[in-house]
Amino acid sequence: MLEILDLQAGYGENRVLRGVCFSLQPGQLAGLLGANGSGKTTLLRAICGIVPHEGKCLLHGAPLDGLSAKKLAQKVSYVPQRSGITIDLTALEVVEMGFHANLGLLRRPSRTMTNTAVQALERVGIDPNVNFLHLSEGQKQLCIMARTMVGSSRLVLLDEPESALDLANRYEIFARLKSWMGSRTVLTALHDPQLALQICDVLVLLKDHTVHSILHPKTDSRETMETALCQIYGELRLYDLDGTLVPVKTPEVRA
Amino acid sequence: MKHSMVSSTRDKLFVTFAAMTLAVMAVVSLFVGKYPLTVQGIVSGDPMQQNVFLTLRLSRTVLGVVGGFCLGIAGFVYQTVFRNPLASPDIIGVASGASAGAAAGILFLSGTLWITAASFVGALAAVLAALALASVDKTGRSSSIVLSGIAVHALAQTVLMALKLTADPEKELSSIEYWIMGSLNGVRPDALWGNFLLCLLCAAALFLLHRQILLLSAREDEAKMLGAHVPRLRLLVLLTATLMVACVISLTGLVSFVGLLAPHGARLLTGRNHRKTMLLSGLLGSSLLCGADILARSVAQTELPVSIFTSLLGAPFLIWLLVRRARSRSV
Repeated sequence: MLEILDLQAGYGENRVLRGVCFSLQPGQLAGLLGANGSGKTTLLRAICGIVPHEGKCLLHGAPLDGLSAKKLAQKVSYVPQRSGITIDLTALEVVEMGFHANLGLLRRPSRTMTNTAVQALERVGIDPNVNFLHLSEGQKQLCIMARTMVGSSRLVLLDEPESALDLANRYEIFARLKSWMGSRTVLTALHDPQLALQICDVLVLLKDHTVHSILHPKTDSRETMETALCQIYGELRLYDLDGTLVPVKTPEVRA
Repeated sequence: MKHSMVSSTRDKLFVTFAAMTLAVMAVVSLFVGKYPLTVQGIVSGDPMQQNVFLTLRLSRTVLGVVGGFCLGIAGFVYQTVFRNPLASPDIIGVASGASAGAAAGILFLSGTLWITAASFVGALAAVLAALALASVDKTGRSSSIVLSGIAVHALAQTVLMALKLTADPEKELSSIEYWIMGSLNGVRPDALWGNFLLCLLCAAALFLLHRQILLLSAREDEAKMLGAHVPRLRLLVLLTATLMVACVISLTGLVSFVGLLAPHGARLLTGRNHRKTMLLSGLLGSSLLCGADILARSVAQTELPVSIFTSLLGAPFLIWLLVRRARSRSV
């Protein structure tokens, strides 16, 4: 279980988040929605300790703050919007980095680990021997997702993983994620509310530097969700197309 | 995994070929120079030939091989850790520190051994100063190490200029200039072995840390979230690589371009950053330094500084690299 209690985070004097509180259950896929600059990325980075913050982040009752990098990586995976790898590495070498938290200083990945990494790459359709830098942005994202999936973490934080993926891969990657996650908790920042409504168990909506509302797409009424999403994105309508909720932005009427 | 096996075999071939080229160069290096040596003369016990072989040529050749190997590996490490293809040991001020130390040694101490020791202390002091300065920034960003390196480099250059001003223009100033230009000449065997032992230990440690070095090539946040304690790991890797460079340049003086050229050559051949690429980088560094040293003592009547020849090869390569990058960006 992930519990965020009165989290405040920002950069220097600029407080991006204030009084953020919410909790997620094991096995839940949660979407983080909000307008640009609402603090989605900051929240993810604060939970994993990259951005300085106050307040508490608890995973299964234990604080994440103060853990060593290795211990933190064993518990939490963070997938950034773009990977910063800029040297020639094979996709396999990139995925094998995911084992780092479980290896000693001078140890190398075992044969079993390598086989697991190859299988993870095959699942996302990427040749293990291809140069990572020669992949498209979307393929790089799939490769980084494969790296996350070989790790042992119980909490997975994803920063807009769909942003570089085409339509088919967008749904495909989340389908794979859902079948893989089991009792893990996944919190993902998303741009697309339609995708979020379809795939997420919980939606955390950010506005005015804090959590505006929490939605449960499977149980909440269409009206409740429409009202909450309007508060974030402005006027929109939610249409029910054969059980799938589709948000459509309507032009705002000005007096 | 077929492609992997092909590239692995190809990499092995490159490494084998580079090792064979180096072996040939090392043998040539043993026999090239003002005083002619023959295998027959050395084996038959000619005292003069044996003396030249053991006290001059052998140590010089070993210095070329080990020194070039260490500079090549250090270049690979610096370029990977700083994610910068132009990174070299001087990025954290080690060469400037060594120069200032050597200049102080030439002015205030006597004997090659003491100058070597002073240069080593200068290099080490510069590295420690740069890393201490960088540690003030608690975020541990690599840019703060680079900035600290620039500050230490500037400081060491000021010290060097001040020392040059006080130097006797006839003798000491020319000795300082000659040291800065780099040469494998006049290295005493007794000054060699301690440094070599340290070099080999550092090189072995860097090979063992290869996986961690690759991890440092990711963005700092990314590496941290993969479980790396980035500031500590970077400090360990850089200190090890720099200690190795300090050991080499305290003996040779400044040697340009080897640390820059060798890793690029290795990457161009293998197309990746595998452990074999690091080994190949070391072997190419050795071949380059040995080759430059052979030229330095054979193309003119007097012995020339080795950096002339490493720069002669390095500068066109650098220009070619810049043109290649510009072309690949314009496509």
